Amino acid sequence: MDDQPVMVFKDVVKVYPLPSGDVTALDGVSFQVDRGEFISVMGPSGSGKSTLLNLMGCLDTPTSGDIYIGGTRIRDMSDKDLTNLRRDRIGFIFQYFNLFPLLNIIENVTFPMMLKSQKAVDPEKGRSVLRSVQLDDSLFSHTPMEISGGQQQRVAVARALINDPDILLCDEPTGNLDSKTGAGIMELMSELNRQGTTIIMVTHDSHIAEYSRRTIRIADGRIVE
Amino acid sequence: MIFWEIAKRNIRIHLLRSSLAMLGIVIGVVAIASMGILGNSLVLTVSDSLKTVGDSVIVTPHVGGTMGGFGGGAGGSSSLKITEQNFQQIKRASAPNIAIPVLQTSDRMKLGVGSDEIVAAIYGLNPDDVPDLLKLKEGGYSRGDSGVLVGSTFAKDNNVKVGSRIAIGTDGEKGTLRVTGIIEERGMAFDVSTDSAIVVTKNWFDETYNRNDYDKVVVKVKNLDDLPGVKTAIENQMNKRDKIVDVVDTRKTMETIFAAFGQITTFVSAIGGISMLVAGVSILNIMMMSVTERIKEIGIMRSIGAQRKEVMSMFLYEALILGVVGSLIGGTMSLIGGYAISSVLLQTTKYLFVFSSLIHIIYGMSFGIVISLICGIYPAWRAANLNPIDALRHE
Repeated sequence: MDDQPVMVFKDVVKVYPLPSGDVTALDGVSFQVDRGEFISVMGPSGSGKSTLLNLMGCLDTPTSGDIYIGGTRIRDMSDKDLTNLRRDRIGFIFQYFNLFPLLNIIENVTFPMMLKSQKAVDPEKGRSVLRSVQLDDSLFSHTPMEISGGQQQRVAVARALINDPDILLCDEPTGNLDSKTGAGIMELMSELNRQGTTIIMVTHDSHIAEYSRRTIRIADGRIVE
Repeated sequence: MIFWEIAKRNIRIHLLRSSLAMLGIVIGVVAIASMGILGNSLVLTVSDSLKTVGDSVIVTPHVGGTMGGFGGGAGGSSSLKITEQNFQQIKRASAPNIAIPVLQTSDRMKLGVGSDEIVAAIYGLNPDDVPDLLKLKEGGYSRGDSGVLVGSTFAKDNNVKVGSRIAIGTDGEKGTLRVTGIIEERGMAFDVSTDSAIVVTKNWFDETYNRNDYDKVVVKVKNLDDLPGVKTAIENQMNKRDKIVDVVDTRKTMETIFAAFGQITTFVSAIGGISMLVAGVSILNIMMMSVTERIKEIGIMRSIGAQRKEVMSMFLYEALILGVVGSLIGGTMSLIGGYAISSVLLQTTKYLFVFSSLIHIIYGMSFGIVISLICGIYPAWRAANLNPIDALRHE
């Protein structure tokens, strides 16, 4: 099971039908992500990075070709199954942190756990994960608006990790942080990867991409490198 | 129940607009419940007034018909009368039930030396029939022609007690009678409305007003199920060729009256319901605002694993909280308002704390909650069906 790739793209095509004509965002993309990899996806604006991220995150389905997550083909899955897949096997980290302003830090982190268990959860796991991303205990009861951007992103990382996902999908995780704080977040990512977490990171920042061990470059909807 | 918690917090964080939405529900519940309570209290008030006469068939000369077997009578309030012969026919038709002939007029009377003359209704009844028709709250029934019974309002207004004397006619020309008893309050009645009247013996009435016929006949029916049969029997007996009497089944009349009151109550409650619909539109509007403001949040929830139904439930909880809190406040205010209105308009609150009145508060509250939920469905559905990718891009 451990030898099975966590993600496989096979000749994936994504076409957006528009009134002015079809737009092909991805054109025959194939790659494989093995367990424990740290991959950067790079490319200019409009190259298809966001489409690729949406497909990897099971937020969208391909027009043709196949995507496998942990051996499961997502093409024929229902919205409910795709949602469960995102909840259980994929962790998302967004550029703008995207924490829930109405929930405190612990509640934000344990939110995916609650979705999974459908009941109140022990906050101890949330505290433990927050400590692992080096967030101070005194901040746990604060709301996202009461902590800094770097701290918010650490909370977002903790939230992404809480259900022990197979893959961590990061969309410009340092894009909204200063360079020093961004470097701290990337050190955290590297550490998580060293501990075995598979990470796929979309970025246009080559310095940030240096933290990864493999880079997929994409242009005009095709993988060029 | 994290979605319940989020719904609560979202209401708390937008307290002003949530309160305004709830205010609409409060007004709607109060409108529906108070109208219902008032209508029901009126029905109960009338019901209480009429319940003592719900077992009678009233026979009166047919107004607008031929004179038939009826002749005019001196001193009467109407030129149409029921003769002794007619009465005997009615009595036979309604047997074995009790048929009570009633004489009625009004006259001046004086209630003691130095007091002002007043005018009041006078009923003439056979002494033997009186216990079947009237209950006393004080004193006893008249044994001789010099005795008189007085209605409770008459006694109260004129400070009349058992033993008081009443001089009938101008300067007491028709004689003086002694009060032997005070009649229990009967309220508005189809047969005899004695509250503000006096009741004399038939003999005294006949001699004083030179009468030998009757104004109406009251048939007290022992078994209420026989009411329609008795009515039909009298009609068949009396109105064979021409319609000479009008026969009223008091229970049927009461049912008609109550049905009319019920329709009025429903109508005014429906008017209250319109305000509830307006409140519902307000909830819909606020929920739509809430969805629009939180599109990105919905996108994040969906992307990290929240199902459509969970997103939908979050917004429905919000609508439910608005509806329940608004309805609870509205229900409480309806109770307070109903108490105040009943006290002022009906002079009593005894009709408020009965099931048939309180149920209108339950109706109002239920309607408030249901309207809130219905108006929350579309925004919740819209939120649940947002495309997560579009929602995440939303700024």
